[in-house]
Amino acid sequence: MTALRTAALAAGLTGLLAAQAAGQDPRLERLDPDTRIAVAGLVDSARASGLPAEALIDRALEGAAKQAPASRIISAVTTLLSNLRDVRAALGASATAPELEAGASAIHLGVRPAALTRLRVLRARQPLTIALSVMADLTARGVPADSAAAAVLALAGSLRDDQFLAFRRSVERDIELGAPPAAAASSSVRLGAGSLPMSNGGTSTSMPPRRP
Amino acid sequence: MGIGEGMSKDAELVRRVLAGDAAAYGGLVAQYRDRLARYAVRMLGDRSDAEEAVQDAFVRAYRSLPRCDDPQRFGPWLFGILVNRCRTSYARRARRERVVLHDESASLVAAVASTAERLDWEAEIAWALDRLDPPYREAFLLRHVEDLSYDEMATLTGAGVSALKMRVLRACERLRVLLKETDRV
Amino acid sequence: MFERDDDTLTDVTARVAASLKAAVRLDAALDARVMAQVSALPAHRPGGWLGRAWSWLRRPRTFALSPLAGLAAAASVAAIVFLAARLGAPPVGAPAGGDRTPVQFLLVAPRAASVMLVGDFNDWTASATPLRTAAGGGLWTVTVPLAPGRYRYAFVVDGKRWQPDPSAPPAPDDEFGSPSSVVTVGGTL
Repeated sequence: MTALRTAALAAGLTGLLAAQAAGQDPRLERLDPDTRIAVAGLVDSARASGLPAEALIDRALEGAAKQAPASRIISAVTTLLSNLRDVRAALGASATAPELEAGASAIHLGVRPAALTRLRVLRARQPLTIALSVMADLTARGVPADSAAAAVLALAGSLRDDQFLAFRRSVERDIELGAPPAAAASSSVRLGAGSLPMSNGGTSTSMPPRRP
Repeated sequence: MGIGEGMSKDAELVRRVLAGDAAAYGGLVAQYRDRLARYAVRMLGDRSDAEEAVQDAFVRAYRSLPRCDDPQRFGPWLFGILVNRCRTSYARRARRERVVLHDESASLVAAVASTAERLDWEAEIAWALDRLDPPYREAFLLRHVEDLSYDEMATLTGAGVSALKMRVLRACERLRVLLKETDRV
Repeated sequence: MFERDDDTLTDVTARVAASLKAAVRLDAALDARVMAQVSALPAHRPGGWLGRAWSWLRRPRTFALSPLAGLAAAASVAAIVFLAARLGAPPVGAPAGGDRTPVQFLLVAPRAASVMLVGDFNDWTASATPLRTAAGGGLWTVTVPLAPGRYRYAFVVDGKRWQPDPSAPPAPDDEFGSPSSVVTVGGTL
């Protein structure tokens, strides 16, 4: 075969594979063909594992919108998939998509999976999305990951979701006013635990004592 | 104290409601509200879902009151309606929320077992209860928290007595395993 | 297989059951809500035909039937049951859950000619969600109804400049070249 026909054949094959991959989700057509194939493969892998594919697609679309290089997009989606797997291992099979996504953000920023497992125990059968989001948001604001996790865990047994968001706002306000982030988090925990009303009147609210 | 203890009082209220005195139903609601609440909260693990299920059960029971065969056994009959409401609620929530997976979360049990700190007992129970499949949780709660007989449970759930006994045993085994590592004296 | 109810609890399961037997109090207004719903329903009538028909159907009876007569009887019973079900209790509808919350996004950009909101909730489509500004002001706003969850987003100013939301937590960076922000919407699904 001539070089031209070989190239045309190769291009056609790539296009065919890309079209097949794009058949998964029309939004992926915004990606160039090679990126599309790689991302579609990751999306398929997520779906097969029962992980939220939408999160991966959103991340790829963000990269496309920002005209990021293909390698960056694929790397971001791969990392996200890996984080989602880690979160599912930490939270268990019953974790919902929003919980997995919020947990993936937290893990990406350095929160340890064991902290997520602990959160599930302390906040059994409630959605963890907000608590995990607050962990991630605090870390993103500069609170060291372990401190952010510890702060959320200390309050996990006693705060409703709306109170968790209020707690986050109070930490952010302190940081904006110039407090070092770790200090802002721990002082808000002391205030939060003491003054916010407990969510389930009558159930135990004592914080578990730490082993030395 | 089993459900339906004040049977003749219930029967009187039921008869009044069927005779057209809707306000008399309030007496039955007050009588059974806490019992239903306890089962619904333990079974569903979510207070607002539980409130919805209890409210739903009471309203359905009111509508279906003519179909209650024996006014003296209003309590168990009402409870059966609640058990069904809870199943519907749980299934609805599962469809909305859950990423459906079938792998056992053995790694999660191991992670909790290795957690160094002593945990709040009630949180542990809630967590362990949540790890039971709904039919086992239901059987355990009906038998050992609501103190129903296996015959009553069979009527409520539609399952056979042997199957129910098996479920209760399995539930207890599973609870023992789940709570073993964290159960320190 | 089982000779008696030998399922007395010992050990940890006994503690579990004892703990679970503790009383649970729901919202005190529950009684009132139930009675409000009940009072909106038609009151039961003494000796209502529905109740009588149902009792008649449920009463056990023995009588001899020829096969054909049996079919006819079955059909008429089925018709009555069907009719009773139709006139009786329609299922109580579940209250709607998972509502979307209106979330307002705003950016101060006095010299901008256009500001777009781009994020997870509109598939990062640059043209989908423009912000609007009151005439003469530099305050751009838009309100978007969002289901509970966590969303990454950013603003695009004048079609080309990516701008994170200064008032929102930063999104974990993926090195796409420009940072995004995160909004978390509470509530249960």
